Amino acid sequence: MMDFYVFVAIVKKYFIELKRYAFNTVMMMFGIYILFALVFFGLQSFGAATETLESAIVGFALWIFAILGFVELSWSILEEARNGTLEQLYLSPVSFGRISGYRVLASFFVNMVLIGAFLIAMMVGTGHYLNLDPGVIILLFLTLLSISGIGYIMGGLALVFKKVQATLNVFQFLFIILLMLPAVMDEGVILYVLPVSWGSALINRVMVSGTPFLALSPWSILILFVNSLAYFAAGYLIFGYLERVAKKKGLLGHY
Amino acid sequence: MERFALELKGLNKTYPQWRKPGVDALVDVNFSVCRGEILGLLGPNGAGKTTAIKCICGLILPDTGTISYFGHETANGIARYVSAVLEGNRNIYWRLTSRENLEFFAGLQGLSPSSVKTKIHDILDNFDLTDKEDVPARKLSRGMQQKLALGCALIRDTPILLLDEPTLGLDVETSFDLRRYIKNLAKEDGKTILLSSHDMNVVEDICDRVVIIDHGCVITDDTVERLKGVFKVQAYEIGLHGRHRNLERALGDGMEVDIRDSRTTLRCQLKDSTAFYNLVDMLKKRNIEIDYIKTLEPNFEEIFIKVLGGERA
Repeated sequence: MMDFYVFVAIVKKYFIELKRYAFNTVMMMFGIYILFALVFFGLQSFGAATETLESAIVGFALWIFAILGFVELSWSILEEARNGTLEQLYLSPVSFGRISGYRVLASFFVNMVLIGAFLIAMMVGTGHYLNLDPGVIILLFLTLLSISGIGYIMGGLALVFKKVQATLNVFQFLFIILLMLPAVMDEGVILYVLPVSWGSALINRVMVSGTPFLALSPWSILILFVNSLAYFAAGYLIFGYLERVAKKKGLLGHY
Repeated sequence: MERFALELKGLNKTYPQWRKPGVDALVDVNFSVCRGEILGLLGPNGAGKTTAIKCICGLILPDTGTISYFGHETANGIARYVSAVLEGNRNIYWRLTSRENLEFFAGLQGLSPSSVKTKIHDILDNFDLTDKEDVPARKLSRGMQQKLALGCALIRDTPILLLDEPTLGLDVETSFDLRRYIKNLAKEDGKTILLSSHDMNVVEDICDRVVIIDHGCVITDDTVERLKGVFKVQAYEIGLHGRHRNLERALGDGMEVDIRDSRTTLRCQLKDSTAFYNLVDMLKKRNIEIDYIKTLEPNFEEIFIKVLGGERA
């Protein structure tokens, strides 16, 4: 029950801040939309095929989704340390690793709504309509797990090294490569092994190629499940190790 | 029932340095805090206070030694025993209102919203924050933010409270209010409080006992009263009628003469009672009329400096 109340407190805080800074959120989404429009119409002017354009819509939405989830684990640790609230989170009976996980979960639901609205706006704006299968939510959630794994590692590095902003920026661009990889190859061990890519491939199959979620082979979903869980578990374990290093070196927080 | 709320035994911590010998932050630190006691943890900057406090919070892992909370040596359950205000007004979320901050920190402790409704109301009421409950923390005055930070630690309802510089930057009235509240927390609610401060007036006013740390070692562990007794000097303030300009020259070193309006005040530190009687005789011979004689209490700040300077308590 203790974890439930911690989760409720985190979700509530997340919504309060989102609502209080609604203007900022709307402007951020507007800015992203302008960036997307530039990319999309740029591709269109070069005569890109319909499938490529639709993949661009999905890829862009996934990229935003990945960054928002990633930021929740990495940047927010730096922000908490800077604000002086990180130590308070560590004084909770629920471990900081779990608290971070709950924050990602809270952001998942909020981002689903935001990205959903964004996707509709993109479809209306471009005239390219995608297959919105509810099963995509499961694929998105599993993809987010692997993103969280990387987020945990970066969060752990942020605890130890503090100045990791440059690395975080690099990862934001690495996500583009990982998400666009399915455009180069349909199947293959590389897609199965790398984070995010296989999730992106399956989401593209459902949303762009129109394959119903239930028609996807169970093996393909199992591969995604194992891949995501492995990255999540590895990230969580590495975070725990780095957290211990930070505690040994007295690096936690700003105090 | 366990006598000590908090007990540190043989705590050592060395921070490794690249290609240099490590820095000893704590060297065999031993001290304990009884239930309901207010202990002042004092020391100059870099003495090891912060490391000790962070070890108690579980934010730093000591190299060797143990910390017991009500007799339990625990690595994972510290939050059940300890809450802390480590960075004063920076320990709260500035975007959230006073009430939202209290609700969030209660939730963070795993407490249900319904179980803390009355407590939130009481904290807001006790700290005069009721009419500011819907104001974002960033818009509160520093004193109010400091009070809110303390409230956020109290809402967790732990038996041990760690406070680092709780009155730093506060005006006299707010500081007085907060001191009174902290004293009540120990006396009435039985909270065990470990307080770190550079303000010796605060320490003297609210602490039952002090532990002074220097270079990572505990150099004194004693009650405030006993320390004042040990360092007691025969110091007097003597009020004289009239203005006596030449007195300072006649009395020599160690005498402070203050002349204001038609009065002269003499402050002196004497080695024994004979010196005192000699002084009174000398004043009589000069026909100087004594208005009053007052014994001066030792200043805790001076005691602190003397202890750090190597004088033994």
